[in-house]
Amino acid sequence: MAEVGRRRSGAQNGLFLLGATAIVLWSSGPFLWQISTSFQLDRALVSPTPSLIPHPFILQHFLNIFLVKHFQFYILNSTIVAISTTLLCLAFGAMAAYALSRLKMRWRFGLLGFILSVSMFPQIAIVGPLYLLASVLGLLDTYMVLVIIYLALGLPLVIWVLFGYFQTIPEELDEAARIDGAGPFLSLLLIIIPLSLPCLVTTGLLAFIAAWNEFMFALALTSTIAHQTVPVGIANFTNLYYVPWGDIAAASVVVTLPLVLLVLFFQRRIIEGLTQGAVKE
Amino acid sequence: MSKTKPGSTATVERLPKPRPGRRAFLGGVALGGVAAFTGARGARGASRTEIAFASAKFFGKETVAQVVGMYNASQSRVHVTYIELPPPSASTEVHQLLVQQLARQSGSPDVFTQDVIWIAEFAGAGWALPLDQEFGADVRKQYFPGVIQACTWGGKLTALPWFIDSGMLYYRTDLLGSAAVPETWDELVALAQAAEKSGRARFGFLWQGKQAEVLVCDLVEFVASNGGAILGPDGRTVMIDDDKSVQAVQFMRDTIDRYKISPQDVLSWDEEPSRRPFTGGQAMFLRNWSYVYTIAQDPKASSVVGKVGVAPLPHFPGGRSAACLGGYQYGVNASTKNRDAAIDFVRWMSSPATQLHFATELGLAPTRPDVFDDPKLAQSQPFMQKLKPVFLGATPRPVTPKYAQVTLVLQSSVSRALADGNVKQALSGAKERIAAIVAS
Amino acid sequence: MTRPAAIGDTLRRAAPSLAAVRRRRADWAPLLLLLPTTISLGSVSVYPILDGLWLSLHNTTLATREDRFVGWLNYRLLATDPDFWSAWRHTLEFTAISTLAETAIGLGMALLLVERFTGRGLVRAAMLIPWAMPTVVTSKMFGWLFDGQNGLVNWVLRSLHLIGGNIDWYGSPNTALGTIIFVDVWKTTPFMALLLLAGLQTIPHSLHEAARIDGAGAWQTFWHVRLPMLVPILLIAAMFRALDAFRIFDLVYVLTGGGPADSTEVLSTLTYKTLFSALEFGYGSALSTAMFATEALIALCFGVLIVRGMRRQGR
Repeated sequence: MAEVGRRRSGAQNGLFLLGATAIVLWSSGPFLWQISTSFQLDRALVSPTPSLIPHPFILQHFLNIFLVKHFQFYILNSTIVAISTTLLCLAFGAMAAYALSRLKMRWRFGLLGFILSVSMFPQIAIVGPLYLLASVLGLLDTYMVLVIIYLALGLPLVIWVLFGYFQTIPEELDEAARIDGAGPFLSLLLIIIPLSLPCLVTTGLLAFIAAWNEFMFALALTSTIAHQTVPVGIANFTNLYYVPWGDIAAASVVVTLPLVLLVLFFQRRIIEGLTQGAVKE
Repeated sequence: MSKTKPGSTATVERLPKPRPGRRAFLGGVALGGVAAFTGARGARGASRTEIAFASAKFFGKETVAQVVGMYNASQSRVHVTYIELPPPSASTEVHQLLVQQLARQSGSPDVFTQDVIWIAEFAGAGWALPLDQEFGADVRKQYFPGVIQACTWGGKLTALPWFIDSGMLYYRTDLLGSAAVPETWDELVALAQAAEKSGRARFGFLWQGKQAEVLVCDLVEFVASNGGAILGPDGRTVMIDDDKSVQAVQFMRDTIDRYKISPQDVLSWDEEPSRRPFTGGQAMFLRNWSYVYTIAQDPKASSVVGKVGVAPLPHFPGGRSAACLGGYQYGVNASTKNRDAAIDFVRWMSSPATQLHFATELGLAPTRPDVFDDPKLAQSQPFMQKLKPVFLGATPRPVTPKYAQVTLVLQSSVSRALADGNVKQALSGAKERIAAIVAS
Repeated sequence: MTRPAAIGDTLRRAAPSLAAVRRRRADWAPLLLLLPTTISLGSVSVYPILDGLWLSLHNTTLATREDRFVGWLNYRLLATDPDFWSAWRHTLEFTAISTLAETAIGLGMALLLVERFTGRGLVRAAMLIPWAMPTVVTSKMFGWLFDGQNGLVNWVLRSLHLIGGNIDWYGSPNTALGTIIFVDVWKTTPFMALLLLAGLQTIPHSLHEAARIDGAGAWQTFWHVRLPMLVPILLIAAMFRALDAFRIFDLVYVLTGGGPADSTEVLSTLTYKTLFSALEFGYGSALSTAMFATEALIALCFGVLIVRGMRRQGR
C-alpha cells in the first residue's frame, strides 16, 4: 500500500532507528517501571536510589490481586462489556457511516453534526440522570446498562472516522455493484467492509480501549463484583487512604500486557495481509 | 458554587416539589434489584421486618457485610439487606449516591452511614431521624464528647456514633532520642530544624496541603490549637479571619517559607504522598490519620519499623491540642417505614460488643471510651489503645448544613494563602464568601 | 475482486422480479441503516440533556430542597463568576496545547510507523501502551513519577544535570497545569497516532511512485502528496481529541484536585464539585450547558474546515 520501497541511505536508516527507539522508550518507559514495581516491596518506592531491578523479587502482589481481591472477576466483566461494545459499535457505526456517505441523503452533515453533539455534553452532567433512568428500568448493576452507555459514547467517533474513510472509496465500485444487482446492504457487507478493514480495526481498537478504561459510569452504575469492571476494581484496592502501590502496579501489568500482545498479533494479521493485495488501485 | 441567589430562601417549611419521572420516585425496583444482588440471603418467613442498610465499603479481616450477617443471625425479628456503596476513598461518589436516595424520601435505605461532615447537611435537609428519644443523655455519655457534638445538629441527636478517626502527630523515636515529645508548635519547629540541620532527616515536618478536604482537616487542627475557630458555635459567625485563625494559617505558611521544615510539595500532597517519605525514613514528624501506624509497622511497606511513636498534636501557647474529627456514623432515614426495626439495628451496631468487633476485625476505632480498655482490644490492636487520649481531644470541622459549599471556599482560599503568602487577604476573602453562604 | 461478480451472476438471473423490490428497499435503506444508531444515541442522551437544560433554569439545590424556576438567573450569575471564567481559560489553554502537541507528535509517530522496517510491529504495539493503560493507574502513576521529592522524573533530570534542585511539579501554581498537560499528551498521543496511521495507509502507493519519479524529495512528498490526503482524517481526529480534552476530568481531579490555589481548576472539576459536593444541581447544570456551548463552537470551527475540505475533494 503506502510502503516506501526505496533504498534508504545509511543516515536515514540511523534516523529511523533513533526515532523508533525514542518512541519505544517514551511509550513504554513508565510501563516498564510499573512492571518493576509490581515485583518489589511497597517500601522500595521511597528508596533514595530507585532501581529498576526488583530487589528482593516478590510475587506477593500478583498473588494478592487474584487470591485476595478476586481481580479475575473484574477482568471477566470488562472483557464481556468491552467486546460487546466494540462489536456493536462497529456494526452500527459502519451501517450509519455507509448510509451517510453512500446513499444520497439530504441533511447528512446536519445529521453528522447531531451525532457529534450528542457526545459533547459533559459526562459528569449525564451520570446523575442516567443513574435515575437505570434505577427506574431496573438496569442497575447489569452488563446491559454499561454496554448501552458505552455504545452511545463510542458511536460518534466510529461513525465520523468511517464516514471520512468511506468518502475516499471511489464510487465506481458502488456503481459496479449496483449494476450487478446488489442492494445497499449487500454492497456494504461485501464490498465496502472488506475494503475498510484497517480503518475498522483501528476504530474498533479505540472503541475497545475506551470501553475497557471507562471509570465514571462503571463506578456509579455497578455495585457488586458480579458486574464491576477493571477500573472500579482497581479503585477498590484502596482501603480508606492507603494505596497498595505494588498491587495496583501488578493489576495494571495484568491488564495492559495482554491488550498489547493482542494488538501485536491482530495488527500483523490484518494490516500486513492487506498490503499484499494493493486493493485500492 | 458559593453565590447568593437573590430570592432563594432555605426555608425548611417548603415542601419538596415532586418532579415527574425524576427525583420523585424510584421504586423499590431499583433497590430491590440491588438487594437481590447483594444477596438477600434467606429472608426467613414473612414475620421478619425487612430493612435496608447502605454503607460505604470498608474491609479488614472481615467486611461490613459479614457484620450485618452476624446481626441477622443473632435474632429473628429483623432482616437487614446490605447495600454496598463505593469505598470512602471515593467519598464524593458515596455522598452523591446517598443524597440521591435520601432526597427521594421513599424510606429506603432505612439505615445509612454518613461521614462526620455530612451529618449537619442531612439533618438540615430533614433526611435524618432525630434519635434523642431512643438514646437519652445517659446513653450519650457513653461516647466521646467530641463525636456526640458532631452528631448533634439544632440541639437534636441525628446520628449515632460508629467509628472515630482523627489527626495525630507521628514522630521518629530514634531521631527524638531523649528529648521530650513536643507539646507546642515552637518546640516542634526547634526539634525539626535541628534534625534537618544535622542531616538526620530530610524533612522536619510533613502535613497535607493539597487543595482537597484534607486541607480543611489540617486547617482545623492548627486553628483550633490556637484557640481560634472557623465558624462560631451558632453556625453563622465567621471567625476565619480573626487574629488567632490568621496566626495559625500564617504558621502553616511559615513551615514552608520561614522555618523551612516542610517542603513546598506539601501543597500538592494529601494522605498518601505525605505518608510515604515518612515511612521511607526521610522525615521526623508527620501529621496524618491513624491508618499510618499499621503501615509504619509493616516491614513490607515501611523502612522505620519499631521507630515510630504517636502523640497528640502540638498546640500554640495558651491553646489546647486539637485533633480533627473523622469517621463515619450511623443515621436513620427520617422517612423510614420500619422505625423500630431500624432503631434496633443501629442500637446493636453501636453496642460495645459490636464496636469491639469492628475494632479487632476491621480496624475501625470505637467511639466508646470504655471499649478501649477491653483486654481483647489490647491483644489484637495494642496501638489503638494508645489513641484514647488523642481521640478525647477530637474537634469537629465547622458544623453547618452548608458545609459542602463552605469547605470548597476554604480549600480554595487557604490554598491560595499558602501558595502566595497573602494570608490575611485570602482569609478575608474567605470570610466574605462564607458569610454569604451561611447567612442564606 | 471476484465476489461482486459472482453475486452479480446470481442476481442478474433474478433481475426482473427483484427490480421492484430493490427500488423499495433502496428507499428504506438509509433509515434502516441509521435506525440502530439513532435509537442507541437517543436513548442515552435525550433524557439527560433535556433534564440538564431544564434544571439549569431552576435553582435546584438538593440539600436545602430549593427548587424554583429562575429563568436565566443561573446564566447571569455564570457570566459574572470569576471562578467560572478562570476555569474556562484553564480549560481552553489545556485543550489547545494538548491537542496541538498530540497532533504534532502523533503525526511524527505515524509517519515513522508507516515505513517498513524490522521490528515495526513491536514499535506499533509499544506505542499503544500509554493509551491502553487504565486511567486510574496512569493518574496515580504520574502523580508519583512527578512527585516533587521522591519522583523518578526529578531524579532522572538531576542525574542528567539538567536541573539543579528538585522541581515541585504539582505543588507550584506555575508548573502544575503544564505537568498535567504533559501527562495527558503522553497518555493520548497514541489515539492520534493510530488514526493518522490508518489515514496514511490508505494513500495509494502509486502517488508516491509518481512523485518519486518526478524527483520529489522526502519532505516534498510529505507536504504536497501525503498531507493533503491526510487532512480530512487529521481534522476529524483533532476535532474529537479537542472535544475530549475540553472535558478532561480524571487526570486533574486525581493529580491536583484543581489546585494549588485553583491554578488547575478546569470546567469539569468545577462542575463536578458544584453538582456532587455542593449539590447545586441548578447552577451545575448551567455550567454543563456553558461547557456544551463552548464545545459546539469548537466543533463548528472544525466542522466547517472538514466539510469544506470534503467538498473540495468533490464529494
